[in-house]
Amino acid sequence: MFNEKPVALLIKEIIIENERVKTFVIDGEMDFKPGQFTMCWIPGFDEKPFGLVSRKKSEFMITVAAVGTSTKALHMMEVSDMLGFRGPFGSAFILPVSGSIALIAGGYGMASLFNLAKEAREKGIDVHVFLGARNKDELLYLDWMKELGAVLHLATDDGSEGYKGFNVQVFEDWVKNEGGPRGGIFTKVYTVGPEIMEMKIASICWEKSIPFEVSLERYMKCGFGICGQCCVDPVGWRMCVEGPVINGEKLKQITEFSKYHRTASGKIEKYPWNKDK
Amino acid sequence: MSINLSVNLAGIKLKNPTILASGIMGISAASLKFCEENGAGAVTLKSIGHNERIGHNNPTVYVWENGIHNAVGLPNPGIDGSIDKMSEMLNVLSIPLIGSMFADTIDNFVMVAKKMAALNPAIIELNLSCPNTADDLGRMYASDVKMTHDVVSAVKKIVGNIPLFAKLTADVTDIVEIGKSAEAAGADGLTAINTVSGINIDIYQKRPILKNKVGGLSGPAIRPIGVRAVWNLYQAVKIPIIGTGGINTGEDAIEYIMAGASAVGIGSGVWYRGIDVFKKVTDEMKVFMEKNNYHSIEDMKGIAHV
Repeated sequence: MFNEKPVALLIKEIIIENERVKTFVIDGEMDFKPGQFTMCWIPGFDEKPFGLVSRKKSEFMITVAAVGTSTKALHMMEVSDMLGFRGPFGSAFILPVSGSIALIAGGYGMASLFNLAKEAREKGIDVHVFLGARNKDELLYLDWMKELGAVLHLATDDGSEGYKGFNVQVFEDWVKNEGGPRGGIFTKVYTVGPEIMEMKIASICWEKSIPFEVSLERYMKCGFGICGQCCVDPVGWRMCVEGPVINGEKLKQITEFSKYHRTASGKIEKYPWNKDK
Repeated sequence: MSINLSVNLAGIKLKNPTILASGIMGISAASLKFCEENGAGAVTLKSIGHNERIGHNNPTVYVWENGIHNAVGLPNPGIDGSIDKMSEMLNVLSIPLIGSMFADTIDNFVMVAKKMAALNPAIIELNLSCPNTADDLGRMYASDVKMTHDVVSAVKKIVGNIPLFAKLTADVTDIVEIGKSAEAAGADGLTAINTVSGINIDIYQKRPILKNKVGGLSGPAIRPIGVRAVWNLYQAVKIPIIGTGGINTGEDAIEYIMAGASAVGIGSGVWYRGIDVFKKVTDEMKVFMEKNNYHSIEDMKGIAHV
């Protein structure tokens, strides 16, 4: 179903992922395609976009880090409290017919990729997940992905699990070692996470001519294509309608990718790593 | 038979009468160009004010049963942070750009208008009727005959030859008095109507949906209100009117034109019909005109006043 107006739904279960992150299981159906998002209304505070996760039809989930006022308020909520949900919104990932895919996720990017992994496995597609986080506790959904039969390549900043360093490096080494025992080529690559990570993955894929898709996050208000907040330069595409999922070819036309984004007032804000004038 | 869809709006030529209304898209040159590519005859930028604003917290916009409801709260980078952006818009667009602006005081209206006029947009539109910023910007200018007169005459002195439009609200006792006051103060045109003030309550959450509680209704629900406003204004003023409010189809646009509008603003229609709403509306108008033997927009303007 598609919700234009926020629909009040009950929190059915709260999974504590780690000290900063909780997954809220919502009692209701959300008929989304992998890559689409919902606008979640935290009554009295704010409404924010979240990636959608679902393991069975009668419920869906959002995974939230307590970082600001509204997400901290959300973390205070309990089972049986109600949240409002609109959506699903935006473009979706497209799977190849067969073959092997790589999912590269950093931060909470796995939330937008989990159902893609699930759908791919159901279609008999091999799934390699290159998951990066600050430490072992922040690696999301590990058990669920093992259950799906995904091949996991883990990386943590502190080395508490898997490779010590960035998942981008693990992915790059794997792609370079094509033909070797610890390497291979992918039919298609999908990446969601911090934009600097997405940029590095995009560069590798462009260089190696691997088809790929990214999910590009921009500040959002309406979620359905009228407020203009999430339009990207110079093409004007709305990341809530034409995006957030963008393929590698189209991404070449989005010149602001990895360079800057717009704040709530619409002002351009350069990313800290962007040294351009 | 050839059909001419172009219109002359206060001396500005539009290839067709569809205008992207203020507050929709309008955040960057790219977003406006995207509307141009999808058939808009002119575009209005999102209102720019005297200083930077981030607007209200979400929920700020959602769709309800009969329209859209919003209280975005005029987020914008402020006029000083918008000069480069507006220059870029004027550079990349091949259709007229309408510069929408607002402020709190008349002095600030004059300050913003001076800076905006220096960039020479095709038209400057005074947003005198945002329904959801009363808490910090005060009462709408367009709710009062004298306030409307004072702000329009002050800004008109600044903008010189650039046509000046005043955007009005139907949330007043008599929109005609306000429209006449704007005309007498030197306005070159009127835009009617802004969104209509309303509240939707989520009965399960026991609170209004919008963070600002009150917000502006748009979409099909308000079309007859807008048509009535244009109808009344058309009988009372000589300056052209941009009819806005709930236009989703060519038929809707023609309804406004027959009520007396010279051109039509489209906002919520971007949701109802997609970003190519401008092309769709224009094509549908053409089909209607062919079938019913109208040659130009002028042929239909105000003809419902029987």
